[in-house]
Amino acid sequence: MNEGFSIKQVFEGKWTQGAIPLVLLVALLLIIEIAAPGFLTGETLALLFANTAVLFMLATGVTFAILLGGIDLSIQAVASLASVMLAQLLPSLGFAAFPVAILSGLAFGLLSGIVHVKLRVPSFVATLATGGVVTGLALWVSNGRAITIEEAGREKTAWINATIFGLPMVVLISALIGIVSFLALRYTRFGRQAIAVGAGEPAAWAAGINVDRTKIIAFAASGILAAIAGVVLAARLSSGSPVLANQLLLPAIAAVIVGGTAITGGLGGVARTAVGALIISIVRIGMTFVGVNIFLENMVFGAVLIAAVAITIDRSKIAVIK
Amino acid sequence: MTFLPGRIAIMLGGRRWRSLAPLAVLVVLCVLITIANPNFIELRNLVRLANSAAVPLTLAMGLTFIIVMGSIDLSVEGTLSVAAMVVVLLAANDSNGNDYGWWAVLAAIAAGTVMGLISGLVQTMLRIPSFMATLGMWFIGLGLSVYMLGGSAIRLNDASIRNLALHRFLGLPLAVWVALGAFALAAVIQYHTRLGRHILAIGGDEDVTKLSGVNVVRVRIAAFALAGFFFGIAGVLAAAQLGQSHAVIGDGRLFAAVTAVVVGGTALTGGEGGVVNTLIGVLIVTVLANGMILLGISPYIQQTVQGLMIIAAVALSLDRVRLKIVK
Repeated sequence: MNEGFSIKQVFEGKWTQGAIPLVLLVALLLIIEIAAPGFLTGETLALLFANTAVLFMLATGVTFAILLGGIDLSIQAVASLASVMLAQLLPSLGFAAFPVAILSGLAFGLLSGIVHVKLRVPSFVATLATGGVVTGLALWVSNGRAITIEEAGREKTAWINATIFGLPMVVLISALIGIVSFLALRYTRFGRQAIAVGAGEPAAWAAGINVDRTKIIAFAASGILAAIAGVVLAARLSSGSPVLANQLLLPAIAAVIVGGTAITGGLGGVARTAVGALIISIVRIGMTFVGVNIFLENMVFGAVLIAAVAITIDRSKIAVIK
Repeated sequence: MTFLPGRIAIMLGGRRWRSLAPLAVLVVLCVLITIANPNFIELRNLVRLANSAAVPLTLAMGLTFIIVMGSIDLSVEGTLSVAAMVVVLLAANDSNGNDYGWWAVLAAIAAGTVMGLISGLVQTMLRIPSFMATLGMWFIGLGLSVYMLGGSAIRLNDASIRNLALHRFLGLPLAVWVALGAFALAAVIQYHTRLGRHILAIGGDEDVTKLSGVNVVRVRIAAFALAGFFFGIAGVLAAAQLGQSHAVIGDGRLFAAVTAVVVGGTALTGGEGGVVNTLIGVLIVTVLANGMILLGISPYIQQTVQGLMIIAAVALSLDRVRLKIVK
């Protein structure tokens, strides 16, 4: 390394790209702590984590798709459908409603994956289409209305809203999901192959990796995690609705990208997404705190998304930017 | 790897047949629905059909240019809601004292064009894929319009703008004529202007186009601005039809527009198809939606059917030889 030291190089280095989001997160925390002393106490942090949990679950799912160089635009629809199914089925099925709702996510994740891989449809269109299919189903099942989880059902969702050793259950669930996803990406054959496919699909294919299967598993994982997020959201709000998670698609994708996972694939991971989700959450709290109109949140996240993509993208990987 | 739909496409005779397939689907669909419910071909229903096709047709015209170029514009709903917001807030309304009449319409179309221009600039200058650039612009537009509307629905009271939806000329609402005008304009741009040819060329092969001396960046920016122009018109029509603007005025529009373009036979890989295909695609989507209502099928299931149509159409139309890696 005897080339000149330049800011551009620093920004393009893999190590710094991983560290920037973390530095940003710490800086944001410090700013808030200075502006409103007492923020960094156990109680508010637990609340912060609890509010980030659903976003983190969704974002972790998309991380799989983005690591492969694809995208999943159906997560908000899958999460909403899961919430509708949980609310609808709790009275009749009891606890069995949980696995059924989550399995619906698996089914539609698999559908996205199979459409994408077998019909060779680009992932953003494939998932846009399955998202439409799922939204239609959710509207149909719920008759276009929000379904309240009644008293009897709330007894069965109470465990999700409980606190254990001072930690909200949702935080433990999302931590468990984060750890399992982290380990799956780092130590399983699927995880290594997923990163290889994202880093260079032709090379991965030439090395004998079953690219199709890896992609389908990734989209299935994204579907399952979206459905779990939907179930948790429904339990927290005591209601299911076909548009429940619609506002979460953009923050979830933004969380992944802001965390430092490149949309070109092969670079990034769940730990980065955790950092990204916390950043998004804190920015949201900060905006309310500073007095930014709540309707402007979408504008800020849209701009943040564009900026983060522009910084993290690996342009050498795309011949023509379409 | 040839999967079943690919094989069917080859079996059915390749390119030439494929270009006629959408038209055949449209005719078969009309015949089947008429058999199931003769009310379908009543004049009143056909006018209703044309009326509900107006906004999707205008939107899809803009989107066609982007898809023919091999890109995608996900900001359809954001841009439409910005235009609808501008027209409602500047014309006579029940929220502020403005009454700029048709200047509001011009401002709304200009706002749509500017949104498209920004998408184009972001995509080419920051060099990021269009689906990410426009995903960001989608929510920027949505956030802006909801913020300006204050999260509520605001009524449009300007009678002459409302007439776009209410007044009829030769039996059809003016909005339909505006949409047909948009179609004619798009057809002229695509077939008779340099911009149209360059857009098609970029979709065919961007590198070759660049080597032929075309300023690819400028064409891309112009194409996104053009798309924004059409979305702006569609926003005005939507506001006129609803008589108001609200936070969810754009809901489901992106989906319908993408379905129409893709079902019409414009390939997502770019360089194939065009505005005439899209006209047929819009008619297929609208006829199907109308038919489902006539047959008493829950309107909620429409998105599901559209989603399946996107999958089927894309699977049948993708030129797989050109696609080594699908991401």
